[in-house]
Amino acid sequence: MAVVEINNVFKTYHDTEVEVKAINGVTLSFEKGDFAVIVGPSGSGKTTLLNLVGGLDQPTGGEILIAGHRLSELRSSELIDFRMDHVGFVFQSYNLIPVLTAAENVGFIMNLQKWPKEKRMARTDELLSSVGLADRHKSRPSQLSGGQQQRVAVARALATHPEFILADEPTANLDSKSAESLLDIMEKLNHEEGMTFIFSTHDTRVMKRAHRVITLEDGKVVSDEIRTE
Amino acid sequence: MKDYQLAWKNLWRNKRRTLITAASVFFAVFFALVMRSFQLGAYDRLFKNVIESYSGYLQLQHEDYFDDPNLDNTFKIDQTLIDQMKEDPNVNDVVPRLESFALAAAGSHTQGVIVLGIDPDREDKVMKISNKLVKYKLTSGTIGKLKNDSIPDKTKKLLDVFSNEAYYSEARLMMDLGISDEDSATILPIIRRHASISNGYLTENGTSEVVIGDGLSEYLKAGVGDTIVLMGQGYHGTTAAGKYMVKGIIKLPAPDIDNVIVYIPIESARELYAAPGMATSAVISLNSNDDNDILQTGNRLQKIISDPMIIKTWQQLNALMVNQMEADNKSGMIMIAVLYMVIAFGVFGTVLMMLAERKREFGMLVSIGMKKKRLAKVISLEMLFIGFLGVAAGVAGSLPLVFYGNIHPLKFTGEFARMYEDMGFEAVMPTMLPDTFYLWQVVVVLVILVIAIIFSTRKIFRMNVINAMRA
Ligand SMILES: Nc1ncnc2c1ncn2[C@@H]1O[C@H](COP(=O)(O)OP(=O)(O)OP(=O)(O)O)[C@@H](O)[C@H]1O
Ligand SMILES: [Mg+2]
Repeated sequence: MAVVEINNVFKTYHDTEVEVKAINGVTLSFEKGDFAVIVGPSGSGKTTLLNLVGGLDQPTGGEILIAGHRLSELRSSELIDFRMDHVGFVFQSYNLIPVLTAAENVGFIMNLQKWPKEKRMARTDELLSSVGLADRHKSRPSQLSGGQQQRVAVARALATHPEFILADEPTANLDSKSAESLLDIMEKLNHEEGMTFIFSTHDTRVMKRAHRVITLEDGKVVSDEIRTE
Repeated sequence: MKDYQLAWKNLWRNKRRTLITAASVFFAVFFALVMRSFQLGAYDRLFKNVIESYSGYLQLQHEDYFDDPNLDNTFKIDQTLIDQMKEDPNVNDVVPRLESFALAAAGSHTQGVIVLGIDPDREDKVMKISNKLVKYKLTSGTIGKLKNDSIPDKTKKLLDVFSNEAYYSEARLMMDLGISDEDSATILPIIRRHASISNGYLTENGTSEVVIGDGLSEYLKAGVGDTIVLMGQGYHGTTAAGKYMVKGIIKLPAPDIDNVIVYIPIESARELYAAPGMATSAVISLNSNDDNDILQTGNRLQKIISDPMIIKTWQQLNALMVNQMEADNKSGMIMIAVLYMVIAFGVFGTVLMMLAERKREFGMLVSIGMKKKRLAKVISLEMLFIGFLGVAAGVAGSLPLVFYGNIHPLKFTGEFARMYEDMGFEAVMPTMLPDTFYLWQVVVVLVILVIAIIFSTRKIFRMNVINAMRA
């Protein structure tokens, strides 16, 4: 069973006088273990598509299924829990709570889910080590570099074993070295734990590392290539 | 991590803003409390002065007497009734009075006066009249003598400011004349020598003697030993006239009364007004003057007495003053309301700024799985913390001042004191100790907070996650 199934999805915005067809009939599916990247020019609908897949936004047409659940059947309060249990998010910026330490940020969702303290701390240790920040438990976001902050965000997204991780331009604010090391970590998690990653990006560094590249243009999928090295 | 811990941490992300907001709440609460304390303390003092030297807390009256203070609205005071009233656990004594108006004349001066017939001993126990007998008076004659004696220049200057002032306590005299405790040993004997006046209180037998207020004695230019004539209308339209010797001069802390009061033994008053055995009122002296006890005692006594007698409380007896105070009180409250309005806008500004600044963060939090309800709770806790910090600091800051001010009342000195007293106030302002008015400040701040909380909770619930993160 596919982790994500997108069936003929449309998203039209009517906010302005003109109607914008941000997503215009997309059908796609992602399998467990995918390391996929969505590319396309600015305004092509990448962010919109990720928001729909993450259940942050509702399509105006078509259907999205995650691990067999129809998102349209969930009420908005159920949707929040659903997101927490099934989807990991890494945003371009403002990922972390500035007043909490790296460890507290990683533990945040586990805390919302009322994990017992020992279990939470053990998982936090494990995750911070796996993103190479074992020694930065007590650092505040402001004391971490942009790349380190993104790694903490990845660790947090992984905490509760989601079905997949969505990352909208995760490297956009990073220098090459940080971007590479973030990608190294995500690749490792993909290899070792089979974690599914779906990115959007403009970044050729990210594109090069992806196993699958989906190109959007004007809200439509114009190509979907699987790469095998 | 508990919600309150997160809220507490969030509070300090923008230390300066949190402190400024809490400080503005602190300032409002502190200022309002201190101001209220002084205002209420002044009222309290003003009322106490009138109540404890003139009206008493409860009086027994003829039901028509208050609206028509006429000798025809008097009653025969009945000893069995008095005894019955005295059985009440809170009643100490019931002291009859015969009170009426008269024209007082001394030499070529005349003045409308209140003639208050009292039982000299029993009235003194309740109103402490003999304690208020004037001991020193700074007449122009005595000031001249004092200036020629060896006293400091500062005191000489102040003598002119307080010319004609009368004193029944040395403490007040020393304060007005700027005499320090160290100097008092040398200066006071000089003042005693020149400014003392001999003064006596009424006795049961001294039927042609009166004690008059210092203010009245000045109008009439009548001192101790002088003769005054009282003329008026007696019971059932008879003519009342009599000649009396001023036995003593007292200074009442309530100038309105001080200017017109003539104390006279009740038997002399009955004779003057041809109203034997009659009384216009009886002061009920109580063991406990607590507001609630007064009310309850009044209610109990009301059941014992019968028509046409009624019990009047001090509020009813001093209705005019109560009204004036209420008007004044309103203006004070309006000032505080304006103050809180300003503070409310400040708090709102902070809330708006905070909501705008943290929009993306809120979007992120809800995206990753925080319920809006929970987020709203954290934000509400943040606001409550700021509010309580401000209130706690305001209350804590005001307490020492309020307690100090109660034990050591603010006393005006020099010309300002004179001015204040001429306006009919005592130049002493004690503070009111914490009471329900403290609770009110907390309630007001709480209301402001609740509005801010409702506002931000609505904002959070209406937030569109995607728009929030795009912002
Ligand atoms: N909330 C919205 N209201 C109105 N129009 C929107 C909204 N969100 C996106 N759009 C429009 O939808 C289209 C797709 O936007 P989207 O953000 O998905 O593009 P993108 O591929 O992520 O672009 P970029 O590479 O610049 O991030 C754009 O034309 C955009 O203006
Ligand atoms: Mg985008």
